[in-house]
Amino acid sequence: MNKVPGYLDPLLILSTALMGCALYLIFIWVPTETNQGAIQRILYFHVPIAWGSMLGIFVVSASSILYLWKKDQKWDRLAVSSAEVGLTFGAMMLLSGMIWARPVWGVWWTGEAKLTTALILFFIYVAYLMFRSYFPPGTQRQRIAAVIGVIGALDAPIIYFAANLWSQAHPPLITGPAADADSTLGSELGIVLLMSTFAFTLLFVYMVQARYKIRRSEDDIVDLKRATTTPGVS
Amino acid sequence: MNTKLTGAKTGIILFMAITTTLTAIFIASEVSIAKASEESILSGIVVGVETDSNGKLIRLAVSDSSGQITTFEFSPKTQFGLENQAGDRWISSLAENPSEAARRLNDHRKRFAPITVSHANGIASSIVERQEGKLETNLGYLFAVFATTWILFFAYVLYMGQKQRVLQYEITRLKNQLE
Repeated sequence: MNKVPGYLDPLLILSTALMGCALYLIFIWVPTETNQGAIQRILYFHVPIAWGSMLGIFVVSASSILYLWKKDQKWDRLAVSSAEVGLTFGAMMLLSGMIWARPVWGVWWTGEAKLTTALILFFIYVAYLMFRSYFPPGTQRQRIAAVIGVIGALDAPIIYFAANLWSQAHPPLITGPAADADSTLGSELGIVLLMSTFAFTLLFVYMVQARYKIRRSEDDIVDLKRATTTPGVS
Repeated sequence: MNTKLTGAKTGIILFMAITTTLTAIFIASEVSIAKASEESILSGIVVGVETDSNGKLIRLAVSDSSGQITTFEFSPKTQFGLENQAGDRWISSLAENPSEAARRLNDHRKRFAPITVSHANGIASSIVERQEGKLETNLGYLFAVFATTWILFFAYVLYMGQKQRVLQYEITRLKNQLE
């Protein structure tokens, strides 16, 4: 049994401290962008959250492949934990994007490529978790869920490249390997975005770790209940 | 006497005509100055571009940052200064190239690229890339994003903490039952 209270988890303390630094940089340190004004500061939340949602599906996919290969329960637990946290990040990505789009584009939602593929990612998470909830427990459920997880990850690179593949409302890529050199953020804006991404990545890891512990406890309870109902097992 | 009176009358009439003409010119110039100063500016997103069968611009609908839609018509003198996605600026008037103006505005509509319209009495006198808007002071949306994000994240972390405590209690209970 874990004797350390949850709020003393070193990962939570570190991610909270980094988030505090990121908030200071976002609201106090970084200069206001000239075109959009203060609203542009949503970028430092929206992009790291979007990164978290894509990281989630990559972890689901990698864990699913490892589960199919090794047949070890821990990979299945990691996949489902990452899917649930990824769903949370995906929902936040869509919400923050919609709230940002309203004043800047004049609409809450539009059918452009990046938004549509991001919504598809959200539905992939929902489908994955719904399948796990409704399908009878067992190895078959875990195997099919793993396949869904692997296929679902194909959407992540499409989201990343959508702005370059279909030039629409989203600006060209500003971060990552395919970013246009002319469109990258300035040094100060880039530092804040990097810091915020790092803070949200740690928060993501903490949340997946916490969800993993819950999943392991749920499996322990199933085993203990089986032991209590089976005669001669202690 | 009559001749003198006629000359005086002519002089008065001439004086009044000149005065009236000068007054009319002055009033006309004042009206045009007043009209120029009445010109307003609106920034927003193009939400509709209406053209005739020849592709010539008829009307333009612009949504501002509060979501209010304003419709504008054009005059042949309407000036344009619009950039494409690469940042190349196109400067022209409606009379010079009406179909290109419609194409550029449709491009802005598809890209959600903001514009600024100078207008008077519903007629747009110039349409350029966004020069001025209320985005700088529109902080409600910024607050909404941060508040929503943090409330959801904290709620989820608290939910996980609570669930973990319940599960630990159940594990302890079952272990005690086994012993």
